[in-house]
Amino acid sequence: MIFSSIPFLYYFLPLMLALYFACPKRMKNAALLLGSLIFYGWGEPKYVLLMAVSIAICYGFGLLTEKYRETGAGRLCCVASVAVSLSFLIYFKYTDFFLESFTAVTGIKTPLPNVALPIGISFYTFQLISYTIDVYRGEQAQRSILRLAAYIAMFPQLVAGPIVRYREISEQLSERTHSWELAALGVRRFVAGLAKKILLANQLGELVAAFQASGEKSVLFYWLYAAALMLQTYFDFSGYSDMAIGLGQIFGFRFSENFNYPYIAASITEFWRRWHISLGTWFRDYVYIPLGGNRVGRGRQLVNIFVVWFLTGFWHGAAWNFIAWGLCFALLLVVEKWWLLERIKRFRFLAHIYVLLLLLPSFVLFHAQSIQAAAADIGGLFGAGGVPLVSAEACYCLRSFFVVLLIGVAAATPFPCRIAERIGKTRVGGRLMDAAEPVVLAALLLVMTAYLVDGSFNPFLYFRF
Amino acid sequence: MGVHGKSRRVCMLLGALLFGGLLLCVLLPKDEYSDSERRALASMPQLSAKAVASGRFMEDFEAYATDAFPFRDSFRALKALTADGIFLRADNHGIYETDGFLSKLEYPMNPASLQRAADRFHMICDTYLTEENRVFLSVIPDKNCFLAKESGHPCMDYAQFEREMARRADFAQYIRISDLLERDDYYRTDTHWRQERITDVAGRLAEAMGAVLSSDYELRTLEQDFYGVYHGQAALPLAPDSLCYLTGEAIGRCTAYDWQNERKIPVYDLARAQGKDPYELFLSGPLSLVTVENPDAPADRRLVIFRDSFASSLAPLLVSGYAKITLVDIRYIHPGSLGRLVDFEGCDVLFLYSTLVLNHSETVK
Repeated sequence: MIFSSIPFLYYFLPLMLALYFACPKRMKNAALLLGSLIFYGWGEPKYVLLMAVSIAICYGFGLLTEKYRETGAGRLCCVASVAVSLSFLIYFKYTDFFLESFTAVTGIKTPLPNVALPIGISFYTFQLISYTIDVYRGEQAQRSILRLAAYIAMFPQLVAGPIVRYREISEQLSERTHSWELAALGVRRFVAGLAKKILLANQLGELVAAFQASGEKSVLFYWLYAAALMLQTYFDFSGYSDMAIGLGQIFGFRFSENFNYPYIAASITEFWRRWHISLGTWFRDYVYIPLGGNRVGRGRQLVNIFVVWFLTGFWHGAAWNFIAWGLCFALLLVVEKWWLLERIKRFRFLAHIYVLLLLLPSFVLFHAQSIQAAAADIGGLFGAGGVPLVSAEACYCLRSFFVVLLIGVAAATPFPCRIAERIGKTRVGGRLMDAAEPVVLAALLLVMTAYLVDGSFNPFLYFRF
Repeated sequence: MGVHGKSRRVCMLLGALLFGGLLLCVLLPKDEYSDSERRALASMPQLSAKAVASGRFMEDFEAYATDAFPFRDSFRALKALTADGIFLRADNHGIYETDGFLSKLEYPMNPASLQRAADRFHMICDTYLTEENRVFLSVIPDKNCFLAKESGHPCMDYAQFEREMARRADFAQYIRISDLLERDDYYRTDTHWRQERITDVAGRLAEAMGAVLSSDYELRTLEQDFYGVYHGQAALPLAPDSLCYLTGEAIGRCTAYDWQNERKIPVYDLARAQGKDPYELFLSGPLSLVTVENPDAPADRRLVIFRDSFASSLAPLLVSGYAKITLVDIRYIHPGSLGRLVDFEGCDVLFLYSTLVLNHSETVK
């Protein structure tokens, strides 16, 4: 089930809220777990069992890790738990990729098992690993399997993050407060995230689809495509994170931020401090620092950086373009770390342009079907292949999506929020905003419902004629 | 009001919308058919362990929940208005409005589709026709031809389209009619042309094929409003069209037969005009094989029209010049089976197609 759907908004969510708030305090985690299993099972009924087995194994190893923490056995338990979790992820996500690559390298044809990827496995596997390692590092193991399961399977962040670390949330699992203020914050955040997804990301997706379907490519069209991809990815992903954080707040949880206006970054280093923060910090804390981090020589640091970014790219998808995408960022980060970062600080405006110009092709590479397709698309940005500068379709799309792009660019910066904050701080503005806020939120929800309802628009072919 | 009150108000309002929505979803009766979209709506799927385990129940429920959402048409209108008025989108699902006319984007020209159509027509000629048959081709431009350029929407080069089609189907004599048409010859909310405004088109075609038509028509207008296919697709609150038809003595004496369902049909099917698609007024809508016979015309004047739905409204205007007109829609009948159904001997043959079909000839069998 996805947040941006009628079944979620008008069936699951109200029923879930009713169940959760009707339950006494001691039953709330059980209610949350039940809802989460239904939420997950809705799209992937057979993989509920896989997740349950993963949680049970992690729970057992967590207790053992804690018990034998000071001994080699504790380390062994921790390693075993991580290995089991990773083995599930590797099997379901990477088997076909490894076999395809083996065939490509050796020429020996290997039948592909075509393993289907369980939704959210990349996210919950990282949460399971974080739990085990946090326990090994001294965090108290969770005695209640129900609480652990509620943490791992918690539906707001199960499918698309943020990757909530166990130590951030362990206390909230047993003791959390609910208030109108926190719930209202959650409602605002959820509606904002839903708007990002439905009103911006989905419309930008239409522009992307129009480009992909077009046989009339042009340089302008390639740039529109790249810009739309970049904005779509941001609004889609950060929209989901906003919804997850908002839902968490409604249920009394405080999740960490996952995005912080990444496109205003003045360096690639800063961009990665603002983009998918929970993944970046996860790799920093569980891979980069254990490998030695910055406390080792330059050569080793270089290796560590490339290892982390190879893994970051590979985590995003089992394909070479994701690996290439991760390694490109490794290269850029190394260049910035040891040479460029100090120099570009003096030219802030140019630094922004530099970041955006690098990010644009990076998202083309990220979304490409293959490295070759990415090379062709990136080449198209610069007129490679003799594509014309403009085409009628590109001009039409620019016109049709101009406002969406404009709103997208503005909404990717903190300025609209800052303006709203300033208005809110004045006496009249504050009163107006207080009065208007519920109306605006309700209107937004209705408009988004309209977009969802219209999404099933599917006229019978005959009626075209 | 303090922070607490404000927060409470926000939560209560959004909660009321979600819970209200749930109640309406569950309690309100569901439509089985969407008149505006002209399609059957998804129904509540059967709940079974097998359907749940396979995920089919959930998939079908998502379609049902969206299709059965209360006030569906109003929400679709809200979406169309938001896309149009706030996001200034130039089209909604490919449908755009300009000067009160709705049209669907048709771009770019698909040469492979034109070739496929020409190949199918060629195959028919090779299979069924002799040198005695005279073969004609005419292309009906869709509404974009008159709307798209001015409103800034991408537009095919219709002159080139006609040239390309005439070149690819050079076994037929091309009859140009596009110069006789203009925007107002089409319904504002529908794909098709208005019968009462295409008598000149019928005259041009008949003249080129050597037939003489009567121009004695009586204009009749149906009482009910005509909301064309684009009206429902656009979901914009636009005024309806009026549906008119031309009748007269010659047309009145004609008999029509639907060979697909083996039944007599009226030339103007007033019962169908009350149905889901009022354009089915003309020769009862989409049928694979229809004949119209005129007892007053010379017996040797016979015409076979390979056609799409545009010809349904044109054919009655041609009947005064022919003893028999056979209308064949090879989107619904395979051309291979025509030998036992249609007598081509001594007939003129007209391939009359809109650019909409020619540019998507995968629909042609």
